[in-house]
Amino acid sequence: NEIHPFEDETGIEFFARKNDSSLFAVGMHSKKRPHNLILGRTFNYQILDMIEMGVERCTTMQEHKSQACSVGMKPLMVFNGEAFNRDENLVRLKSILLDLFRGEVADKVSLKGLEYIITVTAGPPGPNGETGLVFFRTYTTSLKKSGLRQPRVELEEMGPSLDLRIRRVRLPTEDMWKLAVQVPKELKVVKVKNISRDGLGDKYGRVHLGKQEINKIQTRKVRALKKNLDGGKSGKRQKMDVDTE
Amino acid sequence: MDVSGILEEHKNKFKPIQVDRLIPTEFDLGLLACFDMNMLDDNRLRAGQQSRDRYLKELSREGAQQMINELFGLPTTVDEDSVYATLPKTTTVLPREKPIPKEKPPTRWEKFAKIKGIQKRKSTGKVFDEDQGEWRRKYGYKGVNNDDQKPWLIEVPGKADQYQDQYQVRRDEKKARIEKNTRRNQRNVEENVAVEKGMKPHEMRKRELQKALVLSKQSTASLGKFDTKLKGEPKTKGLKRKFDPLVGSADSEKSKNMDILNRVAKGESKATVINVRKAQRAVNNAKRAAASKSK
Repeated sequence: NEIHPFEDETGIEFFARKNDSSLFAVGMHSKKRPHNLILGRTFNYQILDMIEMGVERCTTMQEHKSQACSVGMKPLMVFNGEAFNRDENLVRLKSILLDLFRGEVADKVSLKGLEYIITVTAGPPGPNGETGLVFFRTYTTSLKKSGLRQPRVELEEMGPSLDLRIRRVRLPTEDMWKLAVQVPKELKVVKVKNISRDGLGDKYGRVHLGKQEINKIQTRKVRALKKNLDGGKSGKRQKMDVDTE
Repeated sequence: MDVSGILEEHKNKFKPIQVDRLIPTEFDLGLLACFDMNMLDDNRLRAGQQSRDRYLKELSREGAQQMINELFGLPTTVDEDSVYATLPKTTTVLPREKPIPKEKPPTRWEKFAKIKGIQKRKSTGKVFDEDQGEWRRKYGYKGVNNDDQKPWLIEVPGKADQYQDQYQVRRDEKKARIEKNTRRNQRNVEENVAVEKGMKPHEMRKRELQKALVLSKQSTASLGKFDTKLKGEPKTKGLKRKFDPLVGSADSEKSKNMDILNRVAKGESKATVINVRKAQRAVNNAKRAAASKSK
């Protein structure tokens, strides 16, 4: 069963549908594209994006002969190099690798369970500005005492290490990406307006009054300011509250 | 007492955990990831394999150290002998696997509850049974709801027939209840379909009935001409094709054939004859398809 994702997507889409999986990896070898590795993702059983890389150098876990970490651990991921923000292809690679190695979504992580780390480093770009090699390395961590709360980290090269050269990249179509990235209403962060907190933790809110009509404000009445009081034409006796003795 | 010397010694026993970076590293702790945008030493990366790997290991160690420093700074919870750090929400945008599910239209009850302001109350699912002194399920296996089917004795109610089987009565009642429920569920589904298509459910049912009526007429030999009609049933037109009699005047036949030939002869210059009925149907279908797509 030959599958060439870049030429014909139906093979991958069929498998994605059958296995209900959204991440895929295809490895193949041909004279034109030796040691080819394609990593990709699907959205709604259609190929969202994929990246084809040639593995220029590779060392396996057996070759490293170090203690492998337990299965199912979440890796720490480190991306070195500003190219991962600049180069379109590397941005895509970063996104796919994060997705691929994310593992189970967790909101807590055991501090003892940070056993391994994957590092992806962007090599120097080629003479024409082409994307350079990408160095993919895996290490096991050992946490040593440091005299402080945070331990000192020592690494030992463990698992597979690959030197990858990016070949072809299929970016997602605008509308598919938009759909894929939509956040349902329930999860969107709701901003509460007008409420702020100051440094001491006090909650401040702003209350907006409407426009005030100054003429009609009910104030304490001062008789001396009454209009009729000058020029006593209204010579009527004013009623006063008098305490009866 | 000079303690500083001892402190220095103590400090020097351990290797440093500080990592200095020109451009501060960005972290996405929700994904346990960090992004270091600093300049890399390209010379070392271009060097031979071994020295390059050594450089990469150094870089990685520093990256890992930064991450560990950050992770150990997070709020922690202790659970079963291990310390868990609570991770913040991820900041990187990662795509979903499948599109967001569409909102289901509310059922009849949900609409009613909304108007009345009835809130949904969560029940525990189990009910305490005094007789057995146990917590039993509300429904299902050994559920409380089936208790009325099982008694060893059922009193015949005052008005009922003596010879009626009360157990059967209870079974029938239960069946009726189940049927009522399924009918209501089915009605909800049909209403949803109607809403999706943009029609009122009443309208949709009416149309379906009319269609069924026309079909049933077609399937009779006399095409429903002699069937007893319902009140208010419209007269169905156009079910049977009218054919001219085989034996008739030769003139009329001649004129008819000449008409056809003339039309065929003129055919090219005149506009093609349109089957109005089919054209109208095609237009209506297209309109409906467009309307349902835009919904």
